[in-house]
Formats: sequence, C-alpha cells, structure tokens
Amino acid sequence: MTRRVSVAVALAGLGIAGYLTVAHYVGAAPVCAIAHGCATVQKSSYAVLAGVPVALLGLLGYAAILGSLARDGERARTLTAVLAFSGFGLSAWLSWIEVGELHAICIWCVGSALCMTALAGLSAARLA
Amino acid sequence: MSHRLRRLLAALGASAVLVAAGVAVSASGGTKPPPPPASATFRGIPEHNGVLGDPKAPLTLTEYVDLQCPICAEASKQTLPWLVKNYVRTGKAKLELRTLHFIGPDSERAARVVAGAELQGRLWPFVEAFYAAQGQENSGYVTDAFLRTVSKAAGVDADRALTAADGGFATRQIEQADADATRLGVNATPTFTVAKAGGQPRVIGSGVLSHAQLKAALR
Repeated sequence: MTRRVSVAVALAGLGIAGYLTVAHYVGAAPVCAIAHGCATVQKSSYAVLAGVPVALLGLLGYAAILGSLARDGERARTLTAVLAFSGFGLSAWLSWIEVGELHAICIWCVGSALCMTALAGLSAARLA
Repeated sequence: MSHRLRRLLAALGASAVLVAAGVAVSASGGTKPPPPPASATFRGIPEHNGVLGDPKAPLTLTEYVDLQCPICAEASKQTLPWLVKNYVRTGKAKLELRTLHFIGPDSERAARVVAGAELQGRLWPFVEAFYAAQGQENSGYVTDAFLRTVSKAAGVDADRALTAADGGFATRQIEQADADATRLGVNATPTFTVAKAGGQPRVIGSGVLSHAQLKAALR
C-alpha cells in the first residue's frame, strides 16, 4: 500500500517537474497563481544547479524514485529513501530561498516540495 | 541498534551529504559579466525629461517597471525594440517610464539612479544596460560599483547620477511613479499604459505583451 501511494506521489512530482522543465527550455513563464512569482523563481540564479536546471534535476529525481519503487527489496527501499530524503532536503533549501531571498513563491515548486515531503515520509515508513 | 534503524540512519547520512553538496553549489551562485555597451535601440532618438521620442507625438506610452523585475528585463528585450522602431521612431508615440520599487531596497536605489540618468538625458540607455546586468532580486547587488558599471555602459556620468540619486528630484520621481501607479491600479510590472493626446491613460496590459496586443491597443 505504502509503495503504491509512493508511486502515485512520485508520478505527480514527475508531472510537475516535467512541466517546469519544458517551461525552462521553451523559455516560457509557468502559469502561476501568484503574480510573477514563478517567473521570478525560474529566472533566478538558483534555478540552475551546476549548469543543470533544477527542474530537470527534479524530473530525473522523480524518475529515479519511480525506478527504485519498481522493486520492493531492502536495497530498493534504501535507495528510495536516499533519493527522497535528498529531494526533501534540497526542496527545503529551495523553499527557504524562495521565501527568504527571492520573496517570490512558485506554486509549482511548492507542489513539488510537498510531493518530496510525502515521499520522504513514506520511504521512512517503508524502512522502519 | 536494529538493522532497520541502521538502514534508516545510513539513508539519512547519504542524503545529508548529497543535500549539503547541492546547497553548497546552489548558494555559491554566480556573477554576471558586465553589461554590453548600449545597443542601437534608442540611438539618435531625442530624450527630454525621460520622455523618449517626439514630445508632440499623438500617443503617450508609459511603462511601469521595477528594475529588479526579470519580466521587465524580458519585455525590454522583446517588446521595447519593436515599439521604438514602429511607434517612437515614426513619431506615432512617445515613451515614458515610471520606476516603481516594490520588490525591495535594491529597487529603490536603482530607481533613484534612473532619475539621475534622466537628468543627463540617458534614462532609456541606463535602464537597458541595467537589465543586461540584472542580478538576483534583493541580493544586494545594486551597489555603487554595480551602478557605476551600468552607468559606464549606458554613457551616463556615474558621479553625477549617484549624487542626484540622493536628491529631491529622485525622491519626487519615485513618489510620482507610485502615485500614478496607485491611481491607475497598476499592481504588476511591467505594465504598459497608453494615452491619446489630451486623454487619460488606460492600462494596455502587464507582462511581456505580444506585438499583436500592442498593435490593437495603439490603433
């Protein structure tokens, strides 16, 4: 059951990260519920990590999590946890940057952060 | 310690290393190269009191900006050259700027120096050069050194512009911009307004407007 919920959450995250990745490469401002927040975040220097768009890193992260969820062994569970905890940590950092530095909220990024939080909790439960 | 707890701690440890590395790279940011010299967009067009183009042009286009706003920089690249070429150079419209400062202290400092550039008849080249060097919002990048670099690229006397930034003219300009924005209900940047000779300004729209949108509004 926990694994199935994790797959559903990871698919949701994959969709969000996919949308942001496309928006990044097309150069379009993501549709945002809060005035110009998404574009501000997307165009900030924090939107790229070591030359790789953060949205693409998120996409790869969710894909890797989905891949690790394909099996239910001990190693697979540990791998899911490492990926989800890392995603959660980086999401927390980026959320702090949005609020504390950029003063702009990207609703898509918040959605992704919530997905990563849920995945971290679920993967911890699967390990416990 | 149980086997499961050990695995959980190992996963947390590995994640902590990955997150720390990611945060270190992310926090290191990056510096932008100095802005390129002023482009040909405004070359040869008269600028008086910050108004670009023929003062007698029948239409007055006004752009409300915050110099820290990345979409304003985008509009400057995508919209302004087209507007200037088709409406300002042809004498159909003159262009005005209202510099707001709602994003943060860097915006106010920038807006004040824009007023200093206006006194030298170089407001528009200054704004263009500023956007070319635009940094991360509210990171404190709008230092005197940054403003001097931008001034140099725009052909503005930096000493005079920085001195003027602390004066009453700059204060009046930003207060006027705020008052005009409030009166028209401008709450996003960039916002474009248009006024026919003797008429009241009306908002065309906000963001990077398409040429078709602008054409329709300027008929």
